[in-house]
Amino acid sequence: MEAGYPGTAANGAAADGNGGAQQAAAAPAIREQDRLMPIANVIRIMRRVLPAHAKISDDAKETIQECVSEYISFITGEANERCQREQRKTITAEDVLWAMSRLGFDDYVEPLGVYLHRYREFEGESRGVGVGVGAARGDHHHGHVGGMLKSRAQGSMVTHHDMQMHAAMYGGGAVPPPPHPPPHHHAFHQLMPPHHGQYAPPYDMYGGEHGMAAYYGGMYAPGSGGDGSGSSGSGGAGTPQTVNFEHQHPFGYK
Amino acid sequence: MDNQQLPYAGQPAAAGAGAPVPGVPGAGGPPAVPHHHLLQQQQAQLQAFWAYQRQEAERASASDFKNHQLPLARIKKIMKADEDVRMISAEAPVLFAKACELFILELTIRSWLHAEENKRRTLQRNDVAAAIARTDVFDFLVDIVPREEAKEEPGSALGFAAGGPAGAVGAAGPAAGLPYYYPPMGQPAPMMPAWHVPAWDPAWQQGAAPDVDQGAAGSFSEEGQQGFAGHGGAAASFPPAPPSSE
Repeated sequence: MEAGYPGTAANGAAADGNGGAQQAAAAPAIREQDRLMPIANVIRIMRRVLPAHAKISDDAKETIQECVSEYISFITGEANERCQREQRKTITAEDVLWAMSRLGFDDYVEPLGVYLHRYREFEGESRGVGVGVGAARGDHHHGHVGGMLKSRAQGSMVTHHDMQMHAAMYGGGAVPPPPHPPPHHHAFHQLMPPHHGQYAPPYDMYGGEHGMAAYYGGMYAPGSGGDGSGSSGSGGAGTPQTVNFEHQHPFGYK
Repeated sequence: MDNQQLPYAGQPAAAGAGAPVPGVPGAGGPPAVPHHHLLQQQQAQLQAFWAYQRQEAERASASDFKNHQLPLARIKKIMKADEDVRMISAEAPVLFAKACELFILELTIRSWLHAEENKRRTLQRNDVAAAIARTDVFDFLVDIVPREEAKEEPGSALGFAAGGPAGAVGAAGPAAGLPYYYPPMGQPAPMMPAWHVPAWDPAWQQGAAPDVDQGAAGSFSEEGQQGFAGHGGAAASFPPAPPSSE
């Protein structure tokens, strides 16, 4: 687990400076100030629940900054332990939600589940421009979306939109060259599940997951016939997905 | 989530000095009553906050996903600071951006409640420390913000000293043994100061559903009463009737 971050005024000032620098260009190396969230963003969020006459001392601002970084490390550590126990290499959104529930952040799980569901709806609406392809990298539900794209888009087009999506979301730097189209085709084929039922949401306790199940059920009903073909058995499908996840991270997620 | 028992060691004297209970001489209640009342208020505010957040999550739109309140790249760097972390799905930082937003909001609300208890308008480090100490789920932060020893705040003492004489007009000084102030039973609610209600409601109730708004408004009304009582004492506009000591 991460050690506590120093709460000096200089660190706060550095965070401010880095906020400005970030607008100009993203620094390649990880520096001390990169371990804190930008103080301007933190203050803006704090003010949403404070009365207009409230003031925030500088040491309170810095303290909240440190608490946020510790919160991210705390949840990430728990989520990562679960990944390792299950011999997976990619931390997913479900792992994050699971970790929060396990660590007592029960109030957070419901709104975040709803938020995640909405996010996936948003991605689904934009699947025409290849967002679905990007999403497929991190979650088997979106593998569905990626699979559906196989019959509509050419490999080169998918690759092109994939690059655009990443540039739009993470900006700043040049996008590394993607792998050749054939591996994409193979990945999409492997990600196509034989039946809906075998991909029921694994986290029944989350309201958002239930909504998501209904959403995906409705979305894929017209294409259920096509699902008859594809890899056999959910167990078998699991292993190829793991392999494919490795191949589908050309944009430096590590 | 459960709150730990609130530390009220230094509260009775300060509260008594600043907020005598009019119309009920010699009727100082047991400490459990006002403590319970204050806890109820705080719980109500936090419940309203979470109900609001659940509705807000359902209203998330495309622009919300494109303009995150917190930079995703920074979140990824913090996640990757742990060398055991290998790969992160694209959705995890997006989810964390929202989670950290909720975390900052909850921690700020709990910290502000502590500042209000001490009659301050500036959120300080020790307010954050108190919020962390009182909330079990924030135990992982105790090393980040070491809790200072609880001590009387000179500002609060001076404030109450100034309010004492005015509030105790015609009486023999403030009742030192009076527990934390709470609205007197049967008394009509005093007029709300203009700066309090409008300033608070728009802060995070914008676009809120009527149910949540009403509940939250009720909670803030209580806070308004307390705030007004404090100011009334200082301004000598609140009818004083201090009870005898317990």
